[in-house]
Amino acid sequence: MIAIARYLAAAAAFAAGIAAAQQPPAPPAFAPSNLSSSGVRSLAANCAACHGTNGRPAPGSTLAGLAGKPRDELLTAMTQFKDGKKPATLMHQLTKGYSQEELAALADYFSRQSR
Amino acid sequence: MKMQRRGFLKAGAAAAAMGLAGCAGMPGGAKARVVVVGGGYGGATAAKYIRLFDPSIEVVLVEPNEAFVSCPISNLVLGGFKSMADITTPYKGLEANHGIRIVRDMATGIDAAKKQVRLARGDALSYDRVIVSPGIDFIAGAIPALASADTQARVLHAWKAGPQTVALRRQLEEMPDGGVYVLSIPEAPYRCPPGPYERACQVAAYFKAKKPRSKVLILDANADVTSKGPLFKKAWADLYKGIVEYRGNSKAVDVDARAGAVKLELEDVKGNVLNVVPPMKAGAIADPFITANKRWCGVDWLTFESQAAKGVHILGDSTLSAPLMPKSGHMANAHGKACAAAVVALLNGEAPNPSPTLTNTCYSFVSDTEVVHVASVHKYDTKDRTFKTVPGSGGVSAARNELEAGYALNWARNIWADTLT
Repeated sequence: MIAIARYLAAAAAFAAGIAAAQQPPAPPAFAPSNLSSSGVRSLAANCAACHGTNGRPAPGSTLAGLAGKPRDELLTAMTQFKDGKKPATLMHQLTKGYSQEELAALADYFSRQSR
Repeated sequence: MKMQRRGFLKAGAAAAAMGLAGCAGMPGGAKARVVVVGGGYGGATAAKYIRLFDPSIEVVLVEPNEAFVSCPISNLVLGGFKSMADITTPYKGLEANHGIRIVRDMATGIDAAKKQVRLARGDALSYDRVIVSPGIDFIAGAIPALASADTQARVLHAWKAGPQTVALRRQLEEMPDGGVYVLSIPEAPYRCPPGPYERACQVAAYFKAKKPRSKVLILDANADVTSKGPLFKKAWADLYKGIVEYRGNSKAVDVDARAGAVKLELEDVKGNVLNVVPPMKAGAIADPFITANKRWCGVDWLTFESQAAKGVHILGDSTLSAPLMPKSGHMANAHGKACAAAVVALLNGEAPNPSPTLTNTCYSFVSDTEVVHVASVHKYDTKDRTFKTVPGSGGVSAARNELEAGYALNWARNIWADTLT
């Protein structure tokens, strides 16, 4: 009896160990979005590497200019990339890294930049 | 207060000594001075964005070279598809467009207590905050024979774009058809995870067109391809069958330039052109700020301030990377902007952005016309105080394709302009 109880206890501990090992890592504790003017400016600065400083790309660029485009056009495009409704090479992968509020703030920011 | 005034007077004296005192927009009214050491993707971007975010801050960039030479796209020079001129951008745009003072000199030390950067030729530069972005250096002694200048001249790394890129291309051109090019890759982490595999593709593309009996032999210290593995392996199988051979778990422990051999733990591997990329560490100027494994500099990811010294911010490849954060030019550019925002906030007595975001996009040319990418988005985790990738975001190309080759070249033009003009 005691041997069986020990065996069961050991088996339970073993199973618990596996369960713990298999548990997915805790979800990241990301800081809340910073949608202040300087926060959005920093968020938008990431886009500049491909789309040009403040959304103005080099002349003749095949990567889209963002500066001065209508807010709704920008937001619709980014949302459709994120939802997989607009074909993309990588914008569907990048937009998934941003909340809808962040995408809206980015669309607003770039719409207000001079072309 | 006293210190500040003295610092300001010294800064003024140094500026006068450099003949800069008469320049437009020069201190007098400047709120503070930031010295940036190193004009790569990290440092040049930080310098420019500080001026964009707050033009009342004086920015001095210390950089020994007259022009920036890009590592991204430099593998295409080895393939013979691009020239050095194509990957070179002068620094003068930072001066003309943003009023950044460029000091063409080599920083030889950073005195965090005195808040000064020592220079090889000129007088020391005083700063309120310093941004150190020196890229990588190689670990001395990891490949013992490379201590000799003669071996260094024959066994190239070409892992800092510039004269070595030109020299390696020349070695490839001089190699007879039927020869073997050996590329030795160090253990991760190293600068540009997919870079070696792209290089293998570029050299193979050159051989396929001009020297079809030649071979590319990859000796990887890592167990398997560290980035975009399935995409690179498919390219090697589809495009370069019989040319590219990949060997994992093949760590170079030394070279023998005379015998033309890379020495692994158990065997010597001979080749006509030996391209040995040694293990890496933070750039030498950042040595006093190394905190991890005697190699990398730990930073506070909200400000990029060194964990080892106050007022010293460290960017790019020299940092102890956050999980899944690549040492890439694009990432260094993103570091530069996040650091610029934090430094501007701190110098204005404000709190830095508590929620920074970084992105990375990296294109690799598997031939002269086809590309594969990897992309990621990184956000700040308040609990672990580090950047983590956003679940569900990021990824790689579905397959190699020509559309992204055009995007890749436009990415290069735009990021060079974003960094340097």
